[in-house]
Amino acid sequence: MTSPQGTVPTAPVPVLSAERRADHRRATLGRIPLRTVQYMFLLVVALAVLFPVYWMIASSLKTPDELTSLPPSWLPAHPSIDAYSTVLSVIPYAQAFFNSFVIAAGDTIAIVVTSVMAGFVFAKYNFRGREVLFYAVLATMFVPTIVTLVPLFHVMQSLGLVDTYPGVMLPQLANAFGIFLMRQFIRGIPDELIDAARVDGASEWRVLWGIVAPLLTPAIATLVLFAFVFQWNSFLWPLTILQSQDKFTIVLAMSRLLSYTSSIQFQNVVMAGAVISIVPNTILFLFLQRFFVTGLAQSGLKG
Amino acid sequence: MSRARSQTLWSTVFLAPGVGLISLFVFIPILLTAWISLHEWSMYTPLTQMPWVGLANYSQVVGDQGFQQALVNTFVYAAVSIALIVPLSIFFGLFLYRPPIRGRTFLRTVLFATYMVPTVAVAIIWGYLYSPLYGPIDQLLALVGLPSQPWLGSTSQAMLAIIILNLWQTLGYYTVLVLAGLTQISQDYFDASAIDGAGTIGQTRYVIIPLLRRTLVFVIIIAAINTLQVFDPVYVLTQGGPVNATNVLSFDIYQTAFEFGRAGAASAMAIILLIVLAVTITTFLRLTRED
Repeated sequence: MTSPQGTVPTAPVPVLSAERRADHRRATLGRIPLRTVQYMFLLVVALAVLFPVYWMIASSLKTPDELTSLPPSWLPAHPSIDAYSTVLSVIPYAQAFFNSFVIAAGDTIAIVVTSVMAGFVFAKYNFRGREVLFYAVLATMFVPTIVTLVPLFHVMQSLGLVDTYPGVMLPQLANAFGIFLMRQFIRGIPDELIDAARVDGASEWRVLWGIVAPLLTPAIATLVLFAFVFQWNSFLWPLTILQSQDKFTIVLAMSRLLSYTSSIQFQNVVMAGAVISIVPNTILFLFLQRFFVTGLAQSGLKG
Repeated sequence: MSRARSQTLWSTVFLAPGVGLISLFVFIPILLTAWISLHEWSMYTPLTQMPWVGLANYSQVVGDQGFQQALVNTFVYAAVSIALIVPLSIFFGLFLYRPPIRGRTFLRTVLFATYMVPTVAVAIIWGYLYSPLYGPIDQLLALVGLPSQPWLGSTSQAMLAIIILNLWQTLGYYTVLVLAGLTQISQDYFDASAIDGAGTIGQTRYVIIPLLRRTLVFVIIIAAINTLQVFDPVYVLTQGGPVNATNVLSFDIYQTAFEFGRAGAASAMAIILLIVLAVTITTFLRLTRED
Protein backbone atom coordinates (compact mmCIF):
# COMPACT_ATOMS: atom_id res chain seq x y z
CA MET A 1 0.00 0.00 0.00
CA THR A 2 1.41 3.39 -0.94
CA SER A 3 0.01 6.60 0.38
CA PRO A 4 -0.48 9.90 -1.37
CA GLN A 5 2.57 12.00 -0.90
CA GLY A 6 4.41 15.07 -2.13
CA THR A 7 1.46 16.71 -3.81
CA VAL A 8 -0.09 18.21 -0.69
CA PRO A 9 0.48 21.95 -0.32
CA THR A 10 0.71 23.63 3.08
CA ALA A 11 -2.87 24.39 3.97
CA PRO A 12 -5.19 24.50 6.97
CA VAL A 13 -5.84 21.04 8.38
CA PRO A 14 -9.48 20.51 7.35
CA VAL A 15 -8.75 21.39 3.73
CA LEU A 16 -5.68 19.21 3.86
CA SER A 17 -7.65 16.21 5.06
CA ALA A 18 -10.17 16.69 2.30
CA GLU A 19 -7.42 16.85 -0.27
CA ARG A 20 -5.79 13.76 1.13
CA ARG A 21 -9.04 11.92 0.77
CA ALA A 22 -9.37 13.11 -2.79
CA ASP A 23 -5.78 12.07 -3.42
CA HIS A 24 -6.48 8.70 -1.93
CA ARG A 25 -9.19 8.07 -4.46
CA ARG A 26 -6.75 8.66 -7.29
CA ALA A 27 -3.91 6.59 -5.84
CA THR A 28 -3.01 3.41 -7.65
CA LEU A 29 -0.89 0.35 -7.13
CA GLY A 30 0.53 -0.42 -10.55
CA ARG A 31 -2.52 -0.25 -12.81
CA ILE A 32 -5.07 -1.19 -10.18
CA PRO A 33 -6.63 1.60 -8.11
CA LEU A 34 -5.41 1.45 -4.50
CA ARG A 35 -8.95 1.40 -3.25
CA THR A 36 -9.72 -1.79 -5.17
CA VAL A 37 -6.66 -3.45 -3.66
CA GLN A 38 -7.81 -2.42 -0.20
CA TYR A 39 -11.30 -3.77 -0.72
CA MET A 40 -9.94 -7.03 -2.05
CA PHE A 41 -7.62 -7.32 0.93
CA LEU A 42 -10.49 -6.61 3.31
CA LEU A 43 -12.61 -9.26 1.65
CA VAL A 44 -9.87 -11.90 1.70
CA VAL A 45 -9.11 -11.30 5.37
CA ALA A 46 -12.78 -11.37 6.36
CA LEU A 47 -13.30 -14.63 4.45
CA ALA A 48 -10.21 -16.22 5.97
CA VAL A 49 -11.29 -15.24 9.47
CA LEU A 50 -14.87 -16.41 8.92
CA PHE A 51 -13.97 -19.69 7.24
CA PRO A 52 -13.46 -21.74 10.45
CA VAL A 53 -16.82 -20.48 11.71
CA TYR A 54 -18.42 -21.44 8.40
CA TRP A 55 -16.80 -24.89 8.57
CA MET A 56 -18.18 -25.39 12.07
CA ILE A 57 -21.74 -24.54 10.99
CA ALA A 58 -21.51 -26.44 7.69
CA SER A 59 -20.14 -29.58 9.41
CA SER A 60 -22.87 -29.45 12.03
CA LEU A 61 -25.43 -29.70 9.21
CA LYS A 62 -23.83 -32.62 7.37
CA THR A 63 -24.97 -36.22 7.63
CA PRO A 64 -22.60 -38.98 8.88
CA ASP A 65 -22.44 -40.40 5.33
CA GLU A 66 -21.32 -37.11 3.92
CA LEU A 67 -18.75 -36.63 6.69
CA THR A 68 -17.10 -39.97 5.99
CA SER A 69 -16.90 -39.58 2.21
CA LEU A 70 -13.82 -38.23 0.45
CA PRO A 71 -13.01 -35.60 -0.60
CA PRO A 72 -14.89 -33.51 2.01
CA SER A 73 -17.68 -31.37 0.60
CA TRP A 74 -17.53 -27.58 0.91
CA LEU A 75 -21.30 -27.29 1.18
CA PRO A 76 -23.62 -29.70 3.06
CA ALA A 77 -25.36 -31.70 0.34
CA HIS A 78 -28.45 -32.54 2.41
CA PRO A 79 -28.46 -30.10 5.33
CA SER A 80 -29.89 -31.73 8.44
CA ILE A 81 -30.34 -30.53 11.99
CA ASP A 82 -30.29 -34.06 13.42
CA ALA A 83 -26.92 -33.40 15.03
CA TYR A 84 -28.48 -30.71 17.21
CA SER A 85 -31.08 -33.04 18.67
CA THR A 86 -28.41 -35.72 19.09
CA VAL A 87 -26.13 -33.43 21.06
CA LEU A 88 -28.99 -32.51 23.38
CA SER A 89 -29.83 -36.18 24.01
CA VAL A 90 -26.44 -37.93 24.32
CA ILE A 91 -25.31 -35.69 27.16
CA PRO A 92 -27.21 -33.15 29.33
CA TYR A 93 -26.19 -30.34 27.00
CA ALA A 94 -29.20 -28.11 27.72
CA GLN A 95 -28.49 -28.50 31.43
CA ALA A 96 -24.85 -27.57 30.79
CA PHE A 97 -25.98 -24.48 28.88
CA PHE A 98 -28.16 -23.49 31.81
CA ASN A 99 -25.35 -24.15 34.32
CA SER A 100 -22.95 -21.97 32.36
CA PHE A 101 -25.52 -19.23 32.12
CA VAL A 102 -26.20 -19.17 35.86
CA ILE A 103 -22.49 -19.27 36.70
CA ALA A 104 -21.39 -16.65 34.16
CA ALA A 105 -24.30 -14.28 34.88
CA GLY A 106 -23.89 -14.56 38.65
CA ASP A 107 -20.15 -13.97 38.49
CA THR A 108 -20.61 -11.05 36.10
CA ILE A 109 -23.08 -9.26 38.38
CA ALA A 110 -20.76 -9.74 41.36
CA ILE A 111 -17.73 -8.56 39.37
CA VAL A 112 -19.52 -5.39 38.28
CA VAL A 113 -20.61 -4.55 41.83
CA THR A 114 -17.26 -5.28 43.50
CA SER A 115 -15.33 -3.51 40.71
CA VAL A 116 -17.42 -0.33 40.74
CA MET A 117 -17.08 -0.04 44.52
CA ALA A 118 -13.35 -0.75 44.70
CA GLY A 119 -12.65 1.31 41.57
CA PHE A 120 -14.43 4.29 43.14
CA VAL A 121 -12.23 4.14 46.23
CA PHE A 122 -9.00 3.79 44.22
CA ALA A 123 -10.02 6.68 41.96
CA LYS A 124 -11.53 9.20 44.36
CA TYR A 125 -10.52 8.60 47.98
CA ASN A 126 -7.18 9.57 49.44
CA PHE A 127 -5.61 7.46 52.13
CA ARG A 128 -2.17 6.22 53.03
CA GLY A 129 -1.14 3.09 51.17
CA ARG A 130 -3.76 3.54 48.46
CA GLU A 131 -1.33 3.20 45.55
CA VAL A 132 0.51 0.24 47.09
CA LEU A 133 -2.78 -1.57 47.64
CA PHE A 134 -3.93 -0.73 44.12
CA TYR A 135 -0.77 -2.08 42.51
CA ALA A 136 -0.94 -5.21 44.68
CA VAL A 137 -4.47 -5.80 43.37
CA LEU A 138 -3.38 -5.02 39.80
CA ALA A 139 -0.52 -7.54 40.07
CA THR A 140 -3.04 -10.36 40.57
CA MET A 141 -4.07 -9.84 36.95
CA PHE A 142 -0.75 -11.46 36.05
CA VAL A 143 -1.22 -14.58 38.17
CA PRO A 144 -2.06 -17.61 36.03
CA THR A 145 -5.00 -19.76 37.17
CA ILE A 146 -2.75 -22.81 37.38
CA VAL A 147 -0.61 -21.20 40.12
CA THR A 148 -3.44 -21.15 42.67
CA LEU A 149 -5.24 -24.27 41.46
CA VAL A 150 -3.95 -26.84 43.95
CA PRO A 151 -4.63 -24.90 47.17
CA LEU A 152 -7.96 -23.58 45.84
CA PHE A 153 -9.10 -27.10 45.08
CA HIS A 154 -8.03 -28.22 48.53
CA VAL A 155 -9.82 -25.33 50.25
CA MET A 156 -13.01 -26.06 48.29
CA GLN A 157 -12.69 -29.71 49.22
CA SER A 158 -12.37 -28.86 52.93
CA LEU A 159 -15.44 -26.63 52.64
CA GLY A 160 -17.38 -29.40 50.90
CA LEU A 161 -17.81 -27.24 47.79
CA VAL A 162 -16.32 -29.59 45.20
CA ASP A 163 -18.86 -30.28 42.45
CA THR A 164 -21.17 -27.37 43.40
CA TYR A 165 -22.14 -24.04 41.83
CA PRO A 166 -20.65 -22.02 44.73
CA GLY A 167 -17.41 -23.96 44.32
CA VAL A 168 -17.12 -22.80 40.70
CA MET A 169 -18.32 -19.27 41.35
CA LEU A 170 -16.70 -18.18 44.62
CA PRO A 171 -13.14 -17.54 43.38
CA GLN A 172 -14.49 -15.45 40.47
CA LEU A 173 -16.64 -12.88 42.27
CA ALA A 174 -14.03 -10.12 42.03
CA ASN A 175 -11.13 -9.50 39.72
CA ALA A 176 -8.33 -7.04 39.16
CA PHE A 177 -9.23 -6.25 35.56
CA GLY A 178 -12.67 -5.00 36.58
CA ILE A 179 -11.31 -2.87 39.44
CA PHE A 180 -8.66 -1.43 37.12
CA LEU A 181 -11.17 -0.64 34.37
CA MET A 182 -13.54 1.12 36.77
CA ARG A 183 -10.77 3.10 38.44
CA GLN A 184 -9.58 4.39 35.05
CA PHE A 185 -13.07 5.54 34.12
CA ILE A 186 -14.03 7.01 37.48
CA ARG A 187 -10.82 9.05 37.52
CA GLY A 188 -12.20 10.88 34.49
CA ILE A 189 -15.33 12.00 36.35
CA PRO A 190 -14.88 15.56 37.68
CA ASP A 191 -14.50 15.87 41.47
CA GLU A 192 -16.84 18.89 41.40
CA LEU A 193 -19.74 16.67 40.40
CA ILE A 194 -19.12 14.34 43.33
CA ASP A 195 -18.53 17.19 45.80
CA ALA A 196 -21.72 18.94 44.70
CA ALA A 197 -23.70 15.81 45.50
CA ARG A 198 -21.98 15.57 48.89
CA VAL A 199 -22.82 19.20 49.66
CA ASP A 200 -26.44 18.39 48.83
CA GLY A 201 -26.25 15.84 51.62
CA ALA A 202 -26.00 12.64 49.59
CA SER A 203 -24.37 9.73 51.39
CA GLU A 204 -21.28 8.14 49.84
CA TRP A 205 -23.44 5.16 48.90
CA ARG A 206 -25.81 7.43 46.99
CA VAL A 207 -22.95 9.37 45.43
CA LEU A 208 -21.55 6.14 44.05
CA TRP A 209 -24.73 4.47 42.82
CA GLY A 210 -26.77 7.60 42.04
CA ILE A 211 -24.18 9.94 40.52
CA VAL A 212 -21.06 8.01 39.51
CA ALA A 213 -22.42 4.65 38.34
CA PRO A 214 -24.85 6.09 35.72
CA LEU A 215 -21.90 7.85 34.08
CA LEU A 216 -20.07 4.58 33.66
CA THR A 217 -22.28 3.00 30.98
CA PRO A 218 -19.55 2.31 28.38
CA ALA A 219 -17.20 1.03 31.07
CA ILE A 220 -19.82 -1.24 32.62
CA ALA A 221 -20.87 -2.49 29.19
CA THR A 222 -17.24 -3.34 28.43
CA LEU A 223 -16.84 -5.07 31.77
CA VAL A 224 -20.08 -7.03 31.41
CA LEU A 225 -18.95 -8.26 27.99
CA PHE A 226 -15.47 -9.26 29.12
CA ALA A 227 -16.54 -10.76 32.45
CA PHE A 228 -19.39 -12.79 31.01
CA VAL A 229 -17.34 -14.07 28.07
CA PHE A 230 -14.41 -14.89 30.33
CA GLN A 231 -16.58 -16.88 32.73
CA TRP A 232 -18.57 -18.58 30.00
CA ASN A 233 -15.36 -19.67 28.24
CA SER A 234 -13.45 -20.61 31.35
CA PHE A 235 -12.21 -24.21 31.32
CA LEU A 236 -9.41 -24.99 33.77
CA TRP A 237 -11.23 -24.16 37.03
CA PRO A 238 -14.54 -25.89 36.13
CA LEU A 239 -12.52 -28.90 34.91
CA THR A 240 -10.85 -29.10 38.29
CA ILE A 241 -13.81 -28.48 40.56
CA LEU A 242 -16.77 -30.13 38.77
CA GLN A 243 -17.20 -33.89 38.58
CA SER A 244 -20.76 -34.92 37.78
CA GLN A 245 -22.19 -34.47 34.31
CA ASP A 246 -25.31 -32.62 35.42
CA LYS A 247 -23.11 -29.90 36.98
CA PHE A 248 -20.87 -29.45 33.94
CA THR A 249 -20.54 -26.07 32.27
CA ILE A 250 -21.09 -26.05 28.53
CA VAL A 251 -17.38 -25.76 27.77
CA LEU A 252 -16.68 -28.79 29.93
CA ALA A 253 -19.52 -30.75 28.33
CA MET A 254 -18.20 -29.80 24.90
CA SER A 255 -14.72 -31.10 25.72
CA ARG A 256 -16.25 -34.40 26.92
CA LEU A 257 -18.27 -34.60 23.72
CA LEU A 258 -15.03 -34.64 21.74
CA SER A 259 -13.49 -37.34 23.89
CA TYR A 260 -16.58 -39.58 23.54
CA THR A 261 -16.79 -39.27 19.80
CA SER A 262 -13.48 -38.53 18.14
CA SER A 263 -14.66 -40.51 15.10
CA ILE A 264 -15.07 -38.30 12.03
CA GLN A 265 -18.67 -39.46 11.41
CA PHE A 266 -19.77 -37.73 14.63
CA GLN A 267 -18.12 -34.46 13.68
CA ASN A 268 -21.59 -33.00 13.09
CA VAL A 269 -22.57 -33.66 16.72
CA VAL A 270 -19.40 -32.13 18.17
CA MET A 271 -19.66 -29.13 15.84
CA ALA A 272 -23.35 -28.68 16.75
CA GLY A 273 -22.19 -28.53 20.36
CA ALA A 274 -19.64 -25.88 19.43
CA VAL A 275 -22.27 -23.84 17.54
CA ILE A 276 -24.59 -23.86 20.57
CA SER A 277 -21.72 -22.80 22.85
CA ILE A 278 -20.99 -19.59 20.96
CA VAL A 279 -24.56 -18.27 20.82
CA PRO A 280 -24.76 -16.23 24.09
CA ASN A 281 -21.34 -14.58 23.64
CA THR A 282 -22.13 -13.67 20.06
CA ILE A 283 -25.44 -12.06 21.02
CA LEU A 284 -23.88 -10.17 23.91
CA PHE A 285 -21.01 -9.03 21.70
CA LEU A 286 -23.28 -7.70 18.97
CA PHE A 287 -25.33 -5.79 21.54
CA LEU A 288 -22.42 -4.31 23.46
CA GLN A 289 -19.73 -3.92 20.84
CA ARG A 290 -20.45 -0.26 20.16
CA PHE A 291 -19.23 0.48 23.68
CA PHE A 292 -16.11 -1.56 23.88
CA VAL A 293 -13.71 0.33 21.62
CA THR A 294 -14.40 3.46 23.66
CA GLY A 295 -14.18 1.31 26.75
CA LEU A 296 -10.77 -0.04 25.85
CA ALA A 297 -9.46 3.25 24.53
CA GLN A 298 -10.20 4.94 27.81
CA SER A 299 -8.79 2.21 30.01
CA GLY A 300 -5.52 0.37 29.70
CA LEU A 301 -3.86 2.78 27.41
CA LYS A 302 -3.92 5.99 29.41
CA GLY A 303 -1.99 4.54 32.37
CA MET B 1 -19.27 11.97 62.17
CA SER B 2 -16.62 14.04 60.42
CA ARG B 3 -16.09 13.93 56.66
CA ALA B 4 -12.70 12.23 57.10
CA ARG B 5 -14.04 9.59 59.48
CA SER B 6 -16.97 8.88 57.22
CA GLN B 7 -14.68 8.53 54.20
CA THR B 8 -12.51 6.03 56.04
CA LEU B 9 -15.60 4.06 56.91
CA TRP B 10 -16.93 4.13 53.37
CA SER B 11 -13.61 3.27 51.76
CA THR B 12 -13.50 0.18 53.97
CA VAL B 13 -17.06 -0.77 53.06
CA PHE B 14 -16.43 -0.28 49.32
CA LEU B 15 -13.05 -2.01 49.26
CA ALA B 16 -13.84 -4.95 51.52
CA PRO B 17 -15.69 -7.21 49.03
CA GLY B 18 -13.32 -6.73 46.07
CA VAL B 19 -10.03 -6.66 47.90
CA GLY B 20 -11.21 -9.26 50.44
CA LEU B 21 -12.18 -11.77 47.74
CA ILE B 22 -8.97 -11.20 45.81
CA SER B 23 -6.92 -11.72 49.00
CA LEU B 24 -8.83 -14.85 49.84
CA PHE B 25 -8.72 -16.41 46.39
CA VAL B 26 -5.43 -15.13 44.96
CA PHE B 27 -2.97 -13.84 47.58
CA ILE B 28 -3.51 -16.53 50.21
CA PRO B 29 -3.53 -19.40 47.67
CA ILE B 30 -0.20 -18.14 46.25
CA LEU B 31 1.30 -18.31 49.74
CA LEU B 32 -0.22 -21.77 50.20
CA THR B 33 1.25 -22.91 46.87
CA ALA B 34 4.67 -21.71 48.00
CA TRP B 35 4.20 -23.50 51.34
CA ILE B 36 3.01 -26.75 49.70
CA SER B 37 5.98 -26.65 47.31
CA LEU B 38 8.25 -27.30 50.31
CA HIS B 39 6.40 -30.48 51.21
CA GLU B 40 5.67 -33.94 49.97
CA TRP B 41 1.91 -34.03 49.41
CA SER B 42 -0.68 -36.06 47.51
CA MET B 43 -3.55 -33.58 48.09
CA TYR B 44 -5.69 -36.10 49.96
CA THR B 45 -4.34 -35.57 53.47
CA PRO B 46 -4.84 -32.43 55.60
CA LEU B 47 -2.41 -29.58 54.96
CA THR B 48 -1.19 -29.87 58.54
CA GLN B 49 0.12 -33.41 58.01
CA MET B 50 2.42 -32.82 55.03
CA PRO B 51 6.00 -34.01 55.55
CA TRP B 52 8.53 -31.19 55.09
CA VAL B 53 11.07 -31.78 52.30
CA GLY B 54 12.67 -28.34 51.98
CA LEU B 55 13.74 -27.56 48.43
CA ALA B 56 13.75 -31.21 47.33
CA ASN B 57 10.75 -30.67 45.02
CA TYR B 58 12.56 -27.82 43.28
CA SER B 59 15.76 -29.77 42.68
CA GLN B 60 13.76 -32.78 41.50
CA VAL B 61 11.60 -30.70 39.16
CA VAL B 62 14.46 -28.66 37.69
CA GLY B 63 16.35 -31.87 36.87
CA ASP B 64 13.31 -33.48 35.29
CA GLN B 65 13.53 -33.74 31.50
CA GLY B 66 9.78 -33.54 31.00
CA PHE B 67 9.64 -30.28 32.94
CA GLN B 68 12.61 -28.83 31.07
CA GLN B 69 10.87 -29.67 27.83
CA ALA B 70 7.64 -28.04 29.09
CA LEU B 71 9.57 -24.92 30.01
CA VAL B 72 11.19 -24.72 26.56
CA ASN B 73 7.88 -25.49 24.79
CA THR B 74 6.08 -22.76 26.73
CA PHE B 75 8.78 -20.23 25.86
CA VAL B 76 8.73 -21.18 22.18
CA TYR B 77 4.94 -20.96 22.12
CA ALA B 78 4.94 -17.52 23.78
CA ALA B 79 7.86 -16.10 21.77
CA VAL B 80 6.59 -17.23 18.36
CA SER B 81 3.05 -16.08 19.18
CA ILE B 82 4.22 -12.61 20.27
CA ALA B 83 6.54 -12.32 17.27
CA LEU B 84 3.49 -12.85 15.05
CA ILE B 85 0.96 -10.89 17.10
CA VAL B 86 2.89 -7.61 17.31
CA PRO B 87 3.53 -6.92 13.61
CA LEU B 88 0.17 -8.32 12.52
CA SER B 89 -1.81 -6.32 15.07
CA ILE B 90 0.00 -3.12 14.01
CA PHE B 91 -0.69 -3.93 10.37
CA PHE B 92 -4.37 -4.68 10.88
CA GLY B 93 -4.73 -1.80 13.33
CA LEU B 94 -3.42 0.62 10.72
CA PHE B 95 -5.55 -0.96 8.02
CA LEU B 96 -8.67 -0.54 10.13
CA TYR B 97 -7.71 3.01 11.08
CA ARG B 98 -6.31 4.59 7.98
CA PRO B 99 -7.85 4.08 4.55
CA PRO B 100 -11.19 5.87 4.25
CA ILE B 101 -12.99 2.83 2.87
CA ARG B 102 -16.28 1.32 3.83
CA GLY B 103 -16.43 -2.06 5.53
CA ARG B 104 -13.80 -1.32 8.15
CA THR B 105 -16.28 -1.58 11.01
CA PHE B 106 -17.43 -4.88 9.57
CA LEU B 107 -13.89 -6.24 9.44
CA ARG B 108 -13.20 -5.03 12.98
CA THR B 109 -16.32 -6.80 14.19
CA VAL B 110 -15.36 -10.01 12.39
CA LEU B 111 -11.78 -9.91 13.68
CA PHE B 112 -12.82 -9.26 17.25
CA ALA B 113 -15.70 -11.75 17.23
CA THR B 114 -13.32 -14.72 17.19
CA TYR B 115 -12.13 -13.61 20.63
CA MET B 116 -15.62 -14.36 21.95
CA VAL B 117 -15.46 -18.02 20.91
CA PRO B 118 -14.57 -20.34 23.82
CA THR B 119 -11.00 -21.60 23.46
CA VAL B 120 -12.26 -25.16 23.76
CA ALA B 121 -14.56 -24.57 20.77
CA VAL B 122 -11.68 -22.96 18.86
CA ALA B 123 -9.56 -26.03 19.57
CA ILE B 124 -12.36 -28.35 18.43
CA ILE B 125 -12.98 -26.43 15.20
CA TRP B 126 -9.29 -26.25 14.32
CA GLY B 127 -8.80 -29.90 15.25
CA TYR B 128 -11.22 -30.75 12.44
CA LEU B 129 -9.74 -28.15 10.08
CA TYR B 130 -6.35 -29.82 10.53
CA SER B 131 -7.60 -33.37 10.27
CA PRO B 132 -5.74 -35.34 7.59
CA LEU B 133 -7.73 -36.06 4.41
CA TYR B 134 -11.11 -35.01 5.85
CA GLY B 135 -10.06 -31.49 6.77
CA PRO B 136 -10.31 -28.47 4.44
CA ILE B 137 -6.69 -27.41 5.07
CA ASP B 138 -5.48 -30.63 3.46
CA GLN B 139 -7.84 -29.96 0.56
CA LEU B 140 -6.44 -26.45 0.09
CA LEU B 141 -2.89 -27.81 0.18
CA ALA B 142 -3.86 -30.39 -2.45
CA LEU B 143 -5.21 -27.60 -4.67
CA VAL B 144 -1.72 -26.09 -4.83
CA GLY B 145 -0.11 -29.50 -5.21
CA LEU B 146 1.17 -29.95 -1.65
CA PRO B 147 0.95 -33.31 0.14
CA SER B 148 -1.23 -33.98 3.18
CA GLN B 149 0.32 -32.70 6.43
CA PRO B 150 0.06 -34.48 9.78
CA TRP B 151 -0.26 -31.23 11.82
CA LEU B 152 -1.35 -32.25 15.33
CA GLY B 153 0.00 -35.76 14.83
CA SER B 154 3.52 -34.56 14.15
CA THR B 155 6.16 -33.61 16.71
CA SER B 156 7.43 -30.84 14.45
CA GLN B 157 4.06 -29.32 13.46
CA ALA B 158 1.80 -29.74 16.49
CA MET B 159 3.09 -26.67 18.32
CA LEU B 160 2.79 -24.54 15.19
CA ALA B 161 -0.77 -25.79 14.73
CA ILE B 162 -1.66 -24.59 18.24
CA ILE B 163 0.09 -21.25 17.68
CA ILE B 164 -2.00 -20.71 14.54
CA LEU B 165 -5.32 -21.43 16.24
CA ASN B 166 -4.39 -19.09 19.08
CA LEU B 167 -3.49 -16.41 16.55
CA TRP B 168 -6.85 -16.84 14.83
CA GLN B 169 -8.65 -16.49 18.14
CA THR B 170 -6.76 -13.55 19.68
CA LEU B 171 -5.40 -11.38 16.87
CA GLY B 172 -8.60 -9.32 16.68
CA TYR B 173 -8.35 -8.50 20.37
CA TYR B 174 -4.78 -7.23 20.04
CA THR B 175 -5.73 -5.36 16.87
CA VAL B 176 -8.46 -3.54 18.77
CA LEU B 177 -5.92 -2.59 21.45
CA VAL B 178 -3.67 -1.13 18.74
CA LEU B 179 -6.66 0.59 17.17
CA ALA B 180 -7.55 2.15 20.52
CA GLY B 181 -3.94 3.37 20.77
CA LEU B 182 -4.06 4.82 17.26
CA THR B 183 -7.23 6.81 17.95
CA GLN B 184 -5.33 8.63 20.69
CA ILE B 185 -2.61 9.82 18.33
CA SER B 186 -3.42 13.31 17.11
CA GLN B 187 -4.31 13.52 13.44
CA ASP B 188 -1.74 16.34 13.22
CA TYR B 189 1.10 13.81 13.39
CA PHE B 190 -0.22 11.98 10.37
CA ASP B 191 -0.76 15.21 8.43
CA ALA B 192 2.56 16.78 9.45
CA SER B 193 4.60 13.77 8.42
CA ALA B 194 2.68 13.60 5.14
CA ILE B 195 3.65 17.23 4.48
CA ASP B 196 7.24 16.33 5.25
CA GLY B 197 6.96 13.81 2.45
CA ALA B 198 7.06 10.64 4.53
CA GLY B 199 5.70 7.59 2.70
CA THR B 200 3.45 5.08 4.40
CA ILE B 201 6.32 2.86 5.48
CA GLY B 202 8.50 5.72 6.71
CA GLN B 203 5.56 7.27 8.50
CA THR B 204 4.71 3.99 10.19
CA ARG B 205 8.30 3.25 11.15
CA TYR B 206 9.40 6.68 12.38
CA VAL B 207 6.20 8.42 13.46
CA ILE B 208 3.46 5.99 14.37
CA ILE B 209 5.33 3.12 16.01
CA PRO B 210 7.20 5.43 18.43
CA LEU B 211 3.89 7.07 19.35
CA LEU B 212 2.32 3.65 19.86
CA ARG B 213 5.08 2.63 22.24
CA ARG B 214 2.91 2.41 25.36
CA THR B 215 0.20 0.51 23.52
CA LEU B 216 2.72 -1.98 22.18
CA VAL B 217 4.29 -2.50 25.60
CA PHE B 218 0.77 -3.20 26.89
CA VAL B 219 0.02 -5.59 24.01
CA ILE B 220 3.25 -7.53 24.55
CA ILE B 221 2.66 -7.86 28.30
CA ILE B 222 -0.91 -9.07 27.88
CA ALA B 223 0.18 -11.47 25.14
CA ALA B 224 3.00 -12.79 27.35
CA ILE B 225 0.62 -13.40 30.26
CA ASN B 226 -1.91 -15.12 28.04
CA THR B 227 0.50 -17.31 26.11
CA LEU B 228 2.71 -18.36 29.05
CA GLN B 229 -0.34 -19.95 30.69
CA VAL B 230 -1.76 -21.74 27.63
CA PHE B 231 -3.74 -24.81 28.68
CA ASP B 232 -7.08 -25.37 26.90
CA PRO B 233 -5.99 -26.32 23.35
CA VAL B 234 -3.25 -28.58 24.68
CA TYR B 235 -5.67 -30.38 26.99
CA VAL B 236 -8.35 -30.72 24.33
CA LEU B 237 -6.25 -31.58 21.28
CA THR B 238 -2.90 -33.14 22.16
CA GLN B 239 -2.64 -33.91 25.89
CA GLY B 240 0.92 -32.62 25.61
CA GLY B 241 1.82 -34.97 22.75
CA PRO B 242 2.96 -36.26 20.42
CA VAL B 243 5.96 -37.29 22.55
CA ASN B 244 5.85 -34.18 24.74
CA ALA B 245 6.02 -31.86 21.71
CA THR B 246 3.20 -29.67 23.05
CA ASN B 247 3.64 -30.30 26.75
CA VAL B 248 3.43 -26.81 28.25
CA LEU B 249 3.84 -25.68 31.86
CA SER B 250 0.15 -25.34 32.78
CA PHE B 251 -0.63 -28.76 31.38
CA ASP B 252 2.41 -30.34 33.03
CA ILE B 253 1.46 -28.82 36.40
CA TYR B 254 -2.16 -29.94 36.06
CA GLN B 255 -1.15 -33.49 35.21
CA THR B 256 1.45 -33.68 37.97
CA ALA B 257 -1.05 -32.51 40.60
CA PHE B 258 -4.34 -34.03 39.54
CA GLU B 259 -3.37 -37.13 37.58
CA PHE B 260 -0.12 -38.18 39.26
CA GLY B 261 -1.08 -36.90 42.74
CA ARG B 262 2.21 -35.11 43.29
CA ALA B 263 0.92 -31.77 44.54
CA GLY B 264 4.22 -30.79 46.19
CA ALA B 265 6.16 -31.09 42.93
CA ALA B 266 3.32 -29.44 40.99
CA SER B 267 3.39 -26.50 43.41
CA ALA B 268 7.15 -26.12 42.95
CA MET B 269 6.53 -26.00 39.18
CA ALA B 270 3.77 -23.43 39.67
CA ILE B 271 6.05 -21.19 41.73
CA ILE B 272 8.73 -21.48 39.04
CA LEU B 273 6.13 -20.42 36.43
CA LEU B 274 5.14 -17.45 38.59
CA ILE B 275 8.78 -16.40 39.01
CA VAL B 276 9.46 -16.77 35.27
CA LEU B 277 6.43 -14.61 34.54
CA ALA B 278 7.32 -11.95 37.12
CA VAL B 279 10.96 -11.76 35.99
CA THR B 280 10.01 -11.62 32.31
CA ILE B 281 7.50 -8.83 32.81
CA THR B 282 9.54 -6.66 35.18
CA THR B 283 12.65 -7.00 32.99
CA PHE B 284 10.63 -6.10 29.94
CA LEU B 285 9.07 -3.10 31.69
CA ARG B 286 12.47 -1.91 32.86
CA LEU B 287 13.95 -2.26 29.37
CA THR B 288 11.13 -0.35 27.72
CA ARG B 289 10.68 2.35 30.34
CA GLU B 290 10.52 5.79 28.80
CA ASP B 291 12.69 8.79 29.88
